[in-house]
Amino acid sequence: MLAQQIINGITQGSLFALLAISFAIVYGTLRLVNFATGSLYMIGAYTSFYVVRHVSSNLFVSLAIAAVVGFVMGLILERLAFKSLRGVSRIASLICTIGFSLFLNELAAVVFGRETRVMPSVHTGTAFRIAGTNIIWLQVIMILVAAVIVIGLQLLLFKTKMGLSIRAVSLDYKTAGLMGINVDRTISFAFGLASACAGVAGVLAAFYYNSVFPVMGTLPGLKSFSAAVFGGLTSIPGAILGGYLLGVIENLAVQVISSGYRDIVGFIILVVFLLVRPRGLLGRKIPM
Amino acid sequence: MELKQMLRRIPTLLGSARATMAAFSVRYRMPLVLLLLVGIVAFPHVITGPYYIRVATIMGIYVILASSLNIIIGFTGLFSLGHAAFYGIGAYTSALLATQAGVSFWIALPAAGLVAAAFGALIGVATLRLRAVFLAFTTLGFGEITRIVILNWRSFTRGPLGIAGIPVPRFFGTPFTRVSYWYLVAGLAVITVLAVYRVYHSRIGRALVAIREDELAARSMGIHVFGYKVLAFTMACFFAGIAGSFFAHFQRFISADSFLNTESFTIITMVALGGTGSIVGAVVGAVILTLLPEMFRFLVEFRMVLYGLILIMVIVLKPGGIVGVKGVFEKPKSRRKPWIVEKLTRKPTIPDTTQPQGGTL
Repeated sequence: MLAQQIINGITQGSLFALLAISFAIVYGTLRLVNFATGSLYMIGAYTSFYVVRHVSSNLFVSLAIAAVVGFVMGLILERLAFKSLRGVSRIASLICTIGFSLFLNELAAVVFGRETRVMPSVHTGTAFRIAGTNIIWLQVIMILVAAVIVIGLQLLLFKTKMGLSIRAVSLDYKTAGLMGINVDRTISFAFGLASACAGVAGVLAAFYYNSVFPVMGTLPGLKSFSAAVFGGLTSIPGAILGGYLLGVIENLAVQVISSGYRDIVGFIILVVFLLVRPRGLLGRKIPM
Repeated sequence: MELKQMLRRIPTLLGSARATMAAFSVRYRMPLVLLLLVGIVAFPHVITGPYYIRVATIMGIYVILASSLNIIIGFTGLFSLGHAAFYGIGAYTSALLATQAGVSFWIALPAAGLVAAAFGALIGVATLRLRAVFLAFTTLGFGEITRIVILNWRSFTRGPLGIAGIPVPRFFGTPFTRVSYWYLVAGLAVITVLAVYRVYHSRIGRALVAIREDELAARSMGIHVFGYKVLAFTMACFFAGIAGSFFAHFQRFISADSFLNTESFTIITMVALGGTGSIVGAVVGAVILTLLPEMFRFLVEFRMVLYGLILIMVIVLKPGGIVGVKGVFEKPKSRRKPWIVEKLTRKPTIPDTTQPQGGTL
């Protein structure tokens, strides 16, 4: 039972980690909390729903298409709103992202319908057994996909020129601009990357929970923001750690408290960490 | 060409129209207030349709909510995204008092306000040391926690079933009618707006605005920043609780669905649209955003889409809102262009050699 909860926690943690990375990238480069992350997750999930229906029921096809859709959506969002918001007070841009999240969620409800759509179950066969619990292939795939993305991101950030630009912009965008980095393009790219992460998380969630609905992104979005704060909002390894820890803690907490209250865990962690250790587990000290 | 010129003149025209309006409203403030009061009293006798009175009553609730949130967002510059939670706490307090303990509405109403205020003070003390974005998320988290607790504490709140059969308030023995609900909500709204007005023009209001403008400067002038923030939060939550109590007794059925985070966003949109920090703005925003979906029934489906769009448009295009005050969304005071624009448009500075240089003979 305990092992089962931990495995479930790690699987859910993969989703949180991907979303937390999305928050961390945007916060790191733009010093902006993107509230619409949950909506991008929802868009990823709907993309996979329609891909499964009309193109192919292969999970990986959905993942690839949703990543592209997420990237493009991120670029569009960035172009439309956040570019004009640079230099505006941070809270105004947060409220603006809330506007986007409302807009996208409700647009999805109007376009796709408010009802919950059912996704087919794939890869439900048992992969292997640990301590008397079955681990299904889908869980293995989810954890692997998250791991691949995490490693890929680290490579991209630390081994490529674009990664160098992103890191430079996140440290000090003015100086980065003076060093000949195209700040606008770097920020757009980082935003797209973050949105693609959210989209991929949405696809995995759609397959894992077998359901897609317009407000599916709200709660995971909030919880993974907690995870990002938990791990340190400016640090990608921190976001990953926070995501997995939150997933595991949440599932273990269900042993102690009623399962109806599980969603509270993330918020309590958020409040406690913001009050006691605002830089999170691994984050660098940030002037809040 | 003609069209282009006309389009170009629109902002100036709007500006002068607003200036005229402002001058008009200052010059005739008392007659306007009297006219408004007469309108409030006469309204249910002139327009007697139950639908219109119902819409107007809901509008009154939103006026209270938006005006109270304006204390937090507009005056103090804090971002609470959990206002619906306090509204819900007020509603549940009042409903439970009335259905479980048989308490009269007239006691339940202030009690709901006090309980919501107590929660506000508690949350305020816990979170108000956080900066903007983090405060926003914590209050949002609190809203979510409230919803989850309401849904799960079945023995107390009846969970997803909600509370039904909340008694109709009585006024000296006679049960409330549609019209008396309107008078009550109008009275409460007027009291709220007046209270907010008095607070704004008092020592407290000036302290709050000082905190909004520059926290550090306010602190060095001897303002107890944290205390005033908690005070502002508590006051706003009190009014939210009152609104919740009224809502519970008006609707006579409440469930967690009425107090979702989208409700908080609705109230924020009202404040942002009207103009953050403007007392009239909050009222105008509440009135417009309640009437808009009702006037265009085909918009009902798109209500929240519309709110999202309005929120984005206000912040990107018109941070001051309709009333156009210098609100919280205004760009930073220095008015510096984004650095990249500045860099691209800056002309190389050539030393001016045409003028005689001082000191060189």
